[in-house]
Amino acid sequence: MSTLPIWQFDVLLLILVVLFAVVALSIRNLMGAAVVFGAYSFMMCLIWAGMGAVDVAFTEAAVGAGVSTVFVVSTLYNTGATVQRRTGGLAFKLFIGVVVTLAGAFLLSALPDFPDWGDAESPANAAVAPYYITHTIADTHVPNVVTSVLADYRGFDTLLETTVVFIACIAIYSIMRVDKAKLETDEPAIVAVPRYDPGDSLIVRQASRFMVPFMQLFALYVIAHGHYSPGGGFQGGVILGASLILLAISFDLKSLLRQWSEKTLMLLVAAGVFLYAAVGLACMFMGGDYLDYGFLDSVLPGERDMARSHGILLVEIGVGITVMFSMIAIHINLASNGRFDRGL
Amino acid sequence: MGYLGYILISAGLVFFLGTTIGLLRFPDFYTRMHAAGKGDTLSTVMILTGCICLSSTQVDGIGLLLLALKILLIINFIFIGSPTATHAMMDAGNKAGATPWRKDSK
Repeated sequence: MSTLPIWQFDVLLLILVVLFAVVALSIRNLMGAAVVFGAYSFMMCLIWAGMGAVDVAFTEAAVGAGVSTVFVVSTLYNTGATVQRRTGGLAFKLFIGVVVTLAGAFLLSALPDFPDWGDAESPANAAVAPYYITHTIADTHVPNVVTSVLADYRGFDTLLETTVVFIACIAIYSIMRVDKAKLETDEPAIVAVPRYDPGDSLIVRQASRFMVPFMQLFALYVIAHGHYSPGGGFQGGVILGASLILLAISFDLKSLLRQWSEKTLMLLVAAGVFLYAAVGLACMFMGGDYLDYGFLDSVLPGERDMARSHGILLVEIGVGITVMFSMIAIHINLASNGRFDRGL
Repeated sequence: MGYLGYILISAGLVFFLGTTIGLLRFPDFYTRMHAAGKGDTLSTVMILTGCICLSSTQVDGIGLLLLALKILLIINFIFIGSPTATHAMMDAGNKAGATPWRKDSK
């Protein structure tokens, strides 16, 4: 068996992805739609893995199928899971149909311009990719090319991606957070239906208490071992955040907030981005360009390549901190309706 | 060792088939969850154990040990996580007032 039947598998997965997308749009119960959307993300994860993009698959599994499903569910906890369908007139529907068809036609007409999948002559594969692949060990001492491209060769991109996560967290915080002075007079958070509280169950509490330390250990491994295996700051940060969200769901929000107060959470969200930017600035003080970790070799152990490897680790830790605490803060905001007292 | 892997994976698939049939055919919420929780856990554990056996024909030494250790950790998590999730859903169904199926009810 020399060639694996990859493309047949891909066709099956793509059919499933389209099917899940249609089901998620057409289903009436929003909680059901959230679950189907998680399944959709998982199918996408399998497609990435089939293409060999294991890091992307890892991120999709952690963010798309894991944490974002939790976010949708914790939003539905406060808004109710019934859909209010707004049906426009026939003209409106026709207009929507024409717009969607036109947009789809334009997208399809651009399709022939794309290079073939895995085409060695395409601009991306011909110019920069061979350089990264052949120089990564000599330059950065990092065998996983994805990590060295992400945090070293393209360090600016990742710095701004981390900033995007930070801004998203700040935006959700500033939209959702309720003023403390209003808390006494306000109505309690809208809870449409009396919900089940998993914290009532001893079995759920003990099982999650048992699992959380292993999840956190695995997340630290993912961050620290991202140089050699799939993973890095984003994935590890999401897993760390998910472990604390699991605690918040299986016990209650209060016990999480006792460990991590609101102020600590928001400070740490900013601290991760600050660490990333500060490492870049430190490189400038050592005489190099911004985020040129090689110039850190006088403070970090090893030669220039090892200094770059350690610099990558430092910024990955920064990314991990920001992502972890953003996930927790977003979940608390959504689950408690911005009140930071109780919730899912 | 490789044949043991194939046997385990095939057995796991048979249990998956049973789970699916049970999920579709059983009369009420509790029995369906019962089928899903038990069958799913056992078949996943069997398939992953089969994966260890299969990989022992391709890698050996410390690599096999690390691989087996990682898969064993996954097995451990599924063994704890899957029944707990089933329990949480059963409990939620009980509190939401899902009535159990009886022989005389339609």
